[in-house]
Amino acid sequence: MTMMSSSSSLGSSGGEKFPVGMRVLVVDDDVTCLKILDQMLQRCRYRVTTCCQATVALSLLRERRGGFDVVISDVHMPDMDGFNLLELVGLEMDLPVIMMSADGGTETVMRGIKHGACDYLIKPVRIEELKNIWQHVIRKKKWNESRELEYSGGDDSDPNRRVSEDTECASSVNDGADGISMSHKKKREDKEDEDDGELDHEDPSSSKKPRVVWSVELHQQFVSAVSQLGIEKAVPKRILELMNVPGLTRENVASHLQKFRLYLKRISGVAQQQNGIPSSLCGPVEPDAKVGSGGRLDFQALAASGQIHPETLAALHAELLGRPSGSLVFPAMDQPVLQSSRQGPQCIPSERDVQFGQPLFKCQSRITKQFPTSGIGENMSADFSIWPSNYLGTADAIKNVGGVNNTPKVNMMMQVLQQQQQPYPVVSEPHHIINVQPSCLVVPSRPSNSLSVSQGSLLLNQSSIGVQSESSNKFQSENSSGTVKSSSNINGVPEYRLPSLSNKASLHLEQSVVGDTTNIGVLNGSSVSFSSSLSSYSTSTNSGTGSERKAGKSFDQAQARNLGFVGKGTCIPSRFAVDDIESPTSEQCVRNTSTGDDGARVKQELQLDFTDSSQVGGSTMLPHFSSNNFMSVLSEDGLQGHFTEC
Amino acid sequence: MDVSQLQRSWVEFLTALFNEGFLDSQFNQLLQLQDESNPNFVAEVVTDFFHDSERLLNELTGVLDQQIVDFKKVDSHVHQLKGSSASIGVERVKNMCIAFKAFCEESNREGCLRCLHQVKQEYFLVKDKLQTLFMLEQQIVAAGGSPPLM
Repeated sequence: MTMMSSSSSLGSSGGEKFPVGMRVLVVDDDVTCLKILDQMLQRCRYRVTTCCQATVALSLLRERRGGFDVVISDVHMPDMDGFNLLELVGLEMDLPVIMMSADGGTETVMRGIKHGACDYLIKPVRIEELKNIWQHVIRKKKWNESRELEYSGGDDSDPNRRVSEDTECASSVNDGADGISMSHKKKREDKEDEDDGELDHEDPSSSKKPRVVWSVELHQQFVSAVSQLGIEKAVPKRILELMNVPGLTRENVASHLQKFRLYLKRISGVAQQQNGIPSSLCGPVEPDAKVGSGGRLDFQALAASGQIHPETLAALHAELLGRPSGSLVFPAMDQPVLQSSRQGPQCIPSERDVQFGQPLFKCQSRITKQFPTSGIGENMSADFSIWPSNYLGTADAIKNVGGVNNTPKVNMMMQVLQQQQQPYPVVSEPHHIINVQPSCLVVPSRPSNSLSVSQGSLLLNQSSIGVQSESSNKFQSENSSGTVKSSSNINGVPEYRLPSLSNKASLHLEQSVVGDTTNIGVLNGSSVSFSSSLSSYSTSTNSGTGSERKAGKSFDQAQARNLGFVGKGTCIPSRFAVDDIESPTSEQCVRNTSTGDDGARVKQELQLDFTDSSQVGGSTMLPHFSSNNFMSVLSEDGLQGHFTEC
Repeated sequence: MDVSQLQRSWVEFLTALFNEGFLDSQFNQLLQLQDESNPNFVAEVVTDFFHDSERLLNELTGVLDQQIVDFKKVDSHVHQLKGSSASIGVERVKNMCIAFKAFCEESNREGCLRCLHQVKQEYFLVKDKLQTLFMLEQQIVAAGGSPPLM
């Protein structure tokens, strides 16, 4: 038995040539088998670690992230079902797992496949089979690489896409005109994640959140709760109720649920197979509906799947997520802490994180005022904690929306964004009507409103580009002109233009992206699907107004509210297909009362059905995702490390 | 007896075990895994197997002795026995385990008891054979040789 040594990828030391030195973890409660396998694997010149308890193996894997290249696990083990181990490994780390059993029944083998096993060996295992297992490592790696490539728009500009965090932070500070500073420290902590190994996505130590270790029992409780509820309807709150585990928080469950969805997604392998189905953006990915096809839009998922570029996401977010104005508080992304108000962009650069543009959300000040700040803050924070830091961006956005609107109807957005289907308590006033600007521009909140606007820079998976938007008057003014500019210290300033929506809203959102011009390129290359959904959203929002709105008006007058769905992307203008999406789901319906220039109030019921109807023009790259899956995908790429953390 | 003679009888004995179906090609794999760096590999693994199997057989006896048989437990034990016997290459034990499992799935207590009996027979038979083989091996080593490569 060899001890694991380095955590280098595809561990091989010195001049050894792969697969020599490949690090294999073997788990089997049968000591006889374990010994034989050990010997065989050593004969293959792998570095072998054996373990006769699945639970020990799991903790070993957790402790030594990146310490193994492949796992071979028995199916029947007394302390933990091999499939459970497989599932947890699938959830938490991106390792190829080979199952083995004396039971070669089709059902059992199928179970292994469904749980994500990359291979299934039937005992007695022969050395000839083991000589070949290195291929799974390569396959996984290749797959990951191809995903990364997709992220970066097919070019290898990753280094350029790193967020210049300092810049961002500085800018955010500057933006904090109110003197309310955002906690940047927290964000910085996330940076620790940046340099994680390729195969190793997580560094739990970087999180300060209390960790919940999902033991087998806990996970089983979780799974049974989810299956009881049905994956579509499983929301953290309900799951938590069913699990009834003291100390476990909704956030823990939400985070785990996210990973679970991701996991389901990944094992379905859909992401890979469904490229080139642009119109299917909203379609359910999995036939078996394991991942809800509930029509939740997950941009992150798209991004994660490599279909959407992080930048695009950022832009999208910016568009989709309004900034809360007034008394809205954005919780720090990594902190569950309530922050009463934040201003300025927050940078949360972390690797693999998707940075989303700060949500530019403009709300009427008075609307926001309706809500007690503290209440909002709490809600938001609660929501926030749900998300692992990687999600923070999203969470922010979501929260922003929720906080701003505080309307159940607005929840739609949140839900759409979240995919987690978490019913958000954020809505304090159920019947609150939200005014949405017809123009669908999302404008960052004004400082003048004294609202703490948090600009959560969202982290894009693996692209460390932070998009910053400024919450500033500037936005408003520009919005009035139909263009939102977020100026930050950014290297590149990609312009995101809102595609002209069918509703005629022509707003241009300019976001300066911290990062490089690469971003722009990325944007261009980014699949449109994302944008399409946006456009559809905005369209629906706008529908009813039927006229171009001037942002300035809406913002200034505080009558119109933007839901924050704005088309985007200078680079991607042509790609936006404006589609109306109708969502059958009531929860996804947002009613907006918009005041247009004409002063007419329009009530709009926005129904977004991402699942079915959205067609993305030009987004050939988009895989067929059920909206619910999006998030999962995202988490898959970037969030894995947080599995145990929240 | 000199070394070559011992080696010859070792080979003959082993060949007989294969021919009589006590062992299968998996055992050959084990033999091939044994080398200078691990000269007692086969004996060690097989000893582990003996130890494990006897524990399992005892537990099976106990479980099947209960008024209400926990067939899930029986199945689990038989499964493990099947896995390890397959890994060793003691074919007849493995085959008995397969039959055993079938009865277990039917919750057929009588069938299980019959199988348990037969598995025990097969097990002790092959154990005896393997111990003889190892004794021969030890004699070869004692005579200054090493078991021939199969």
